[in-house]
Parts: sequence; structure tokens; C-alpha cells
Amino acid sequence: MTEPAAAGIHPQSSAASAPLAPTKLQVRDLHFYYNGFHALKGINMDIPEKKVTAIIGPSGCGKSTLLRIFNRIYAIYPKLEAKGEIILDGENILDSSYSMNRLRSKVGMVFQKPVPFPMTIFENVAYGIRHHEKLSRADLDIRVEQALRSAALWDEVKDKLKQSALGLSGGQQQRLCIARGIALKPEVLLLDEPTSALDPIATGRIEQLVEELKNEYTIVIVTHNMQQAARCSDLTAFMYLGELIEFDRTEQIFTKPTKKQTEDYITGRFG
Amino acid sequence: MSSSSFLYTRRRITNLVALSLSMVATLIGLIFLAWILWETLRQGIGALNLNLFTKITAYGEEGGLLNAMVGSLIIDFIGIAVATPIGVMAGTWLAEYANRTSLGQSIRFLNDILLSAPSIVLGLFVYTIVVLPTTTLTSGNTTFSGLAGGIALALIALPVIVRTTDEMLRLVPSTLREAALSLGIPQWKLTLQILVRAARSGIITGVLLALARISGETAPLLFTAFGNNYMTFNPMDKMSSLPQVIYQYANDPGEAMHAIAWAGAFVVTMFVLLLSLASRLVLSRNKVSHD
Repeated sequence: MTEPAAAGIHPQSSAASAPLAPTKLQVRDLHFYYNGFHALKGINMDIPEKKVTAIIGPSGCGKSTLLRIFNRIYAIYPKLEAKGEIILDGENILDSSYSMNRLRSKVGMVFQKPVPFPMTIFENVAYGIRHHEKLSRADLDIRVEQALRSAALWDEVKDKLKQSALGLSGGQQQRLCIARGIALKPEVLLLDEPTSALDPIATGRIEQLVEELKNEYTIVIVTHNMQQAARCSDLTAFMYLGELIEFDRTEQIFTKPTKKQTEDYITGRFG
Repeated sequence: MSSSSFLYTRRRITNLVALSLSMVATLIGLIFLAWILWETLRQGIGALNLNLFTKITAYGEEGGLLNAMVGSLIIDFIGIAVATPIGVMAGTWLAEYANRTSLGQSIRFLNDILLSAPSIVLGLFVYTIVVLPTTTLTSGNTTFSGLAGGIALALIALPVIVRTTDEMLRLVPSTLREAALSLGIPQWKLTLQILVRAARSGIITGVLLALARISGETAPLLFTAFGNNYMTFNPMDKMSSLPQVIYQYANDPGEAMHAIAWAGAFVVTMFVLLLSLASRLVLSRNKVSHD
């Protein structure tokens, strides 16, 4: 193999899957502790570039925890500890010398509930850009428009950019949060159950958006919804009790899972 | 069947008793509130006249309250102007930087003690640390002053503002913090530009309520601003205030003085009522824009 295997944690599953793309995030022997509780137990996975990787599993399995390590957002709370390595473009992001500012401009995140900032729609997107780059007003306008277009929101908000973002609907707010994230031109986009607070129509739009965004970004999505994982991801990781049980191409996971636990979960026997 | 209907009847009766008791309790509270407002209104409106707003205090029916109103405004302004920046910053530090630390918890506890400290104690404290030293330093030229009164009121407003700022900021969902931090925004920018903005109306409400609280305070002003029967705008002078004049006139044997005291009480009550309404308005306007 010339390229790193996309899904290579278990010998039997890596044999089944040819590499999809170069690896963007390499997770090596990752352990995580919540105030002493061992929440992630030695995770190894290679997340491929410009693909959608879904992480599924029952509540409390550690899927959100894993996602929140990728941009070290967990570090804002005390008594949480990650051990192991996550290699992004050859550098270990868990290394304390890795700049938080740099990490967060490279790895964007969208949360379960839409959380627009208490400012105008324009400012919501422009705020992060201004922090990282000095742009002229005209350039800033262009960047904001690009971000809103990529998030499929431009047509709905172009006439009310000066209005408060809090007046948008839930689905629009979530797309605004995605626009805010991609406005920084990150390389990786983390989505933590981005549609669980949205209605089916808004969910459909977000899923369509994920499909479009993967041409430019490496996307990791945590979801409770197995249909969603099946619909919009290229690879699926199944986690259970802090361990990565199986990680493979999505169609493989949903049609011919190799592990009994995976099969039980996707067929609805538990979880 | 019969036992379940018996249980249902029993639950209904229990519910009825509990409901009636709580309604009576509410009513008792409301009756006294309405009574206080009614007396103030009845006695106060009867005593209202233009003299109150145009003349300064003088013994007899011809006296007004102008110097007391001006004094109150100046002293309250000093109190709020001193307490607001300190209170908002301290509350922000508690909520954002020291939330779960033991130091933060201890300071929160101490702040709660200050919140319930008897106001006369704060008045005596300011007498000791402000009035006495200024008297010595100026060889008796400046003794009691509006400034000292303002500082005493600031000590009363401070814990109110610290508490509301702290609580309002802690009400801001942590996801907003995570969202900003995950864009690489540093903590200080997040706090100043996003969190304080999100909690703005709550913080303003806290300041307005603190103002309402101090505008009725009498005890802390007795040993600090003292009172003054002449008009002054100089905060280094002894200064009169509405609550202090009400206190003084209510103790006076003269009927005319009582009437002026009632009118003053009416003005203070209206001021507090308007402040409460304003704080309500600030909060409700914000709620609408959140939906």
C-alpha cells in the first residue's frame, strides 16, 4: 500500500477496505480520563482527507468525547486529561506546544444546539475571521458572503445581514454556525450531532450541505441517527463503552459488519 | 374501583388544602404591600404641591424638598458610579475565571454576607474610614459629605451588582463559550465581546435594582452625608437626601412636617417603582429578541 490505510485498526477490516484517501487525522493509542474515569480506552483510527467520517454508538460510548479531543475544546474544563497522539499534518496536536489558536483555525466545530453569538448575522461570520486575519472591509465582505454561500444560507439572509442572528430559525442558525466555522477556512470540520435539535427539513438541508462540503473539508460527524450516518458518510466508526469496535467503509459497516456488537447495534438489538 | 376513587378524592382534597393555604399566604403578603402603597399614595398625593419641587427644606408649611432631591440624585449617582464598574468586573471574574475554584466560592460567600450586612453597620464603617480621616486631614473643614454618603451606598449596591452579574453570566449556556473558543477566540475577547453582551440586559437590570435599593436607604447616610438644609451641588459638602429628610420630618411633632415627609415618601416610592418597571422592560425586550 502506498497510501496509509483509511481504516486500519483491525487486521481483518483493513484488509477489506482499500485506502480511500490520504490520512488527515491519525489517532494513536488515545486514552481519555474524566476526573479519573477512563472514558476512552486506546483509540486508534486514521481519518481520511476530504471524506465524511461518521462516529456512531450508544449514549455514553465516548463518541462526542473523541470529537471534542480533535480541537482540544475539552481543555477548557478542569480535571479532564487526554493521553496518546493525534497527528494532524505530521504534528501531534495534543502536544502542549501546539498552539491552540492554530489548532482551532485548522479544526472547526459545530455543536448540537445552534449557538449564534448575540450580534448581527454578518458579525457572527466576520467575528472569527477578524480575530485571525486583518482584512480590508471589501475583502471581509467577500469572505462573509463566500462562507454564507458555502453554508447554503446566503439567499435567505443576504437582505438582513444587519439583523440579529437570534431572529433566525433553528435550522438557519445551525447553518450560520457552519458558515462561521468554514469562514476561517479550516481543514477539518467537526460536527457534534448537528441536526439533533432540528426538524426533518432542516436536517435534510444540513445533510445535503455536508455532502457538498466534503469536497473541500475533512468532516467528522458524531450522530445518534444511524440513517444519517448511512446517508451522508463515507466511513463509519462504531464505538461502545469507550472503545472503537469497528471502523470501515460505511456500506461495509451497514451491510456486512464484522463484529457482533456492531451488527447488534445497527440492527437495533441494543443502544 | 372504590379504593382508587377514594385515593383520587383524597388527592383532590389534599390538593385543595395545599392550594388554599398557599393562596392565603400570597394574599397576606399582597395585602400588606397594597396597604403600604395605598397609604403612601393617599397621604403623599394629598401633600404634593409645587413647593416640594421648587423650594429647599425649611421649617413650616412653606418648605420644599428640592435640596433633598438633588442630594439624593447626587449621592445615588456616586454610589452607582462607584459600585457598577467594580461590581461588574468582580462578578465577571467570579463567573468566568473563578467559577468552580475554592477562592471563587469563598468570595461568593463573603459577598453574600455583605449583601445581608445591616446598612447601619456600613454607614458606621464609612464614618470610620472616610468621615473621620477627612475631618482630621482637613482640620475640620470637611467632615460629613455627599461623597461619603455615596461610598456608603456603593457598599450596599456592590454585592447586589456582583451577585446579579455573576448569576446572569452563569446563565449563559456553556455551549456559547465552547463555540467561541473553538473558533480560536481568546478568553478575554469571549468574555468582553460575547458573554457580557449576551448577559447585558440581566446586568443592566441588576444595576437598576441596586439603584432602587440604595435610593431608599436612610441609615447609612445618617453618619456620612448627614443632611443639609441648604442647596449644594458640592459632594464634599454635607448633603441632604430624601430618605434622611423623611426620617427627620417623621420624627418632628409638626403636622406640616409629616405631610412633607409623606410627599417625600411618595416621590421615593414612585422612583423605585419606575426603576423596577424599567428593569422589567429591559429584561422583556431582551427576551423577545432571543426568540
